Amino acid sequence: MNEVKPEVTTAEDEAAGVPVVSLRQVRKVYPGAAGPKVALQDITFDVARGEFACVVGPSGAGKTTLLRILAGLAQPTSGAALFEGTPLRSVPPGIGVVFQDYGRSLYPWLTVARNVELPLRVRGLQRTERAQRVAEVLASVGLPDAGRSYPWQLSGGMQQRVAIARSLAYRPDLLLMDEPFASVDAQTRFELEDLILRVRQEFGVTVVFVTHDIDEAVYLADRVIAVSKSPGVVTEIVDITLTRPRDQIATKADPAFARYREHLLGMVMKR
Amino acid sequence: MSLHSLGGAASPGPAARAAGTAAARALTRVWLFVVLFLIWWFWSAGSKSLYFPPLSSILKALWTQWVTGPARAELGSSLEHLVVGYVIAGLVGIGIGALLWSLRYLRDATSPYIYFLYVLPAPVLVPAAMTLFGIGFTMKVVLIAFAALWPTLLNTLDGMRGVDQVKLDTSRVLGVSPLGSVFRVVLPAAAPQIVAGLRNSLQVAIILMVVSEWEASSDGIGYYIVNAQQSFDYVGMWSGIIVLAIIGTVANVLFVIAENRALHWHYGARAVEGTR
Amino acid sequence: MLGRYTLTYGLRLAVLAAALGLWQGLSAAGVIRADEFPSMSQTATALWDQASGSSLWSAVGQTLEGWGLGLVIGAAAALLIGTLIGMNGFAYRSAIGVIEFFKAIPVIAILPVGLVLWGATLTMKFALVAFAVFWPLVIQVCYGVRSLDPVVRDTTAVLQVRGPRKFLTVILPSAAPFIATGLRVAVAVALIVDIIAELIGGGSGVGERILVAENAGPSAYPIMYAYIVVAGLLGVLLAGAFTVAERYVLGWHESQRSARAEGQDRGYSERKGLTLVAS
Repeated sequence: MNEVKPEVTTAEDEAAGVPVVSLRQVRKVYPGAAGPKVALQDITFDVARGEFACVVGPSGAGKTTLLRILAGLAQPTSGAALFEGTPLRSVPPGIGVVFQDYGRSLYPWLTVARNVELPLRVRGLQRTERAQRVAEVLASVGLPDAGRSYPWQLSGGMQQRVAIARSLAYRPDLLLMDEPFASVDAQTRFELEDLILRVRQEFGVTVVFVTHDIDEAVYLADRVIAVSKSPGVVTEIVDITLTRPRDQIATKADPAFARYREHLLGMVMKR
Repeated sequence: MSLHSLGGAASPGPAARAAGTAAARALTRVWLFVVLFLIWWFWSAGSKSLYFPPLSSILKALWTQWVTGPARAELGSSLEHLVVGYVIAGLVGIGIGALLWSLRYLRDATSPYIYFLYVLPAPVLVPAAMTLFGIGFTMKVVLIAFAALWPTLLNTLDGMRGVDQVKLDTSRVLGVSPLGSVFRVVLPAAAPQIVAGLRNSLQVAIILMVVSEWEASSDGIGYYIVNAQQSFDYVGMWSGIIVLAIIGTVANVLFVIAENRALHWHYGARAVEGTR
Repeated sequence: MLGRYTLTYGLRLAVLAAALGLWQGLSAAGVIRADEFPSMSQTATALWDQASGSSLWSAVGQTLEGWGLGLVIGAAAALLIGTLIGMNGFAYRSAIGVIEFFKAIPVIAILPVGLVLWGATLTMKFALVAFAVFWPLVIQVCYGVRSLDPVVRDTTAVLQVRGPRKFLTVILPSAAPFIATGLRVAVAVALIVDIIAELIGGGSGVGERILVAENAGPSAYPIMYAYIVVAGLLGVLLAGAFTVAERYVLGWHESQRSARAEGQDRGYSERKGLTLVAS
């Protein structure tokens, strides 16, 4: 088994050094009906440029809250959340988000092409350039001919591809994914996992991928960040040194895969 | 694959059978209308009653009065009031609904009074409107618009409040400005409910259209019917009633057609949802 | 969250006080002409006078009579006929067009017929109300009866539940939300139609008082507006009573359950049971 560090070929200047994401003692408390609810207690980690980081934890571990803070959709109660060195106050333009529930995220009154095009219109791109980008990104996700369909005419897996395409259309620096493949069947999930690895290579984007599926996390990640429930803290950060490019069969047959899996599973299930 | 084919007799091919089924379906929907019409026709045919004249003379009056005759002016006048009043009601209803959606304190403070005005049976305002605006065009349009705007307003407000948070988060992430989100996301997402409100508003508008012409009016369908009744022209009265029934039906059909075009995405998505 | 509540109610009272104050101010300053529109104090006085005597209450009683009788008759007919039609596919497909047609007739159109048959009587009022209530409600009952969730339908078949038991324990409860929506609309429609029957047809009740006051000239306008307010309050009362009753009866249904679970941030009109959702 190789000990080679994962090679990430991105266009970005890796020597820049500023982590794309930086969380320091992030704490998030919600006012609840029965008193304040602590969703996150103390979260600290960095994500380097070009890295594929997976956040795993059981349900209720505040993973979605964490993702919303990373996106700038929510503010931490205390602690610092930085995107490319600057504190997140609102949603910065360089972030893409893929939600779990594609049915609620894609706009049913717009065709696939118009959905994907929306962020480009907002950014003032001209029509021809928009059309080109849309075609490009739809081809990257394997849906070159889906432009004129409506999202609800497509299968679940295809809809999630559209959501991925839409979030990549404007070339974000950071892609956040909130359990994106939890709502599709297992077969489709493997295809989408490979898809996201491919587009990560192609677009050179940093990815933070939230999941409860340990196998998925180990398969996809350069690093796995394990988060526990009560309290919501980072229990461990594991470097995954499996070779790239990953392969559904070969990588999962690698004994190292099973070791990582066992380790993480043990950790998650104990808490 | 019917048993007939085994006996050697020619059985209808699938295309013919489909056409046959379509015809049967159409017939099912229509036969009751025809039967009721015929019953009315024959039951009233020899009628000597002043109040329930023969259907044949009513239909004749329909033609001579409304299609080719003097009542066309009344029809035009009523429809004019209806259209103007309804359009104003729709625009104002959506506009104020959206405004209240965005200003929480204003919404909280005024909601009981808006509710009161929504539940108030609008015909009750006719006498008041007459004292304030006289009996002309203004009174009718104001009345129709005022009464019809509440269902649209409330449904707009409610529809906008009910928009999925995921859609709003998505729009923030995609970089859509808050104002842009209102037009690109919130209003389209609320559209099905806004349209339901508009449909209710249309029904209210039609009722007020007639009611506003009932007392001391000089034109309109309502005026025609009252006038006919008071001059014992019951054939005319019935023809007016049928005209109202037709207006109601046509308005409904037009609305459904417009709705299906504007909301095709909504019905398409719902149809698919049902099969997943 | 006492702070939030008192703020909201405080604001509402402030708005009401401001509106009433403005009304009175404009009347006193002559901006609102006394012969066109009474002042706030005059209207309030008229309302109080009417309420302390028996005339307001008898008018309300008469209105409620027509409303109640018509609602009960129309609803009973709609439930019975709607169920029968809904359960049979052929009957449904045959009748639905005719029902939609009659539903589209603005009820005001039938008023002359009612007057001809019964004059300005209670019978005329409740007959009109029943007619108006029947058509939309029968459609809702049909939809409800036919709307059985396929999973529920299959489960019922597997559990061997048939016939009258199936109707009572599966179909009727499953149709209940549709029927509830229909009844909610019917309650409001019945009031509007009853008022129309009084206002225009001359039947006794709140609407008639308004008409009489208007005909009596500007001196009676305060009474007219007082009764307009009464009509609105009646609408509020009846709609509110229905919502309470509905919550009590349909408490089990998912949509009600999740509405309570989701907390209070639903549109007030939905909480009040007013919003008509696209069906």
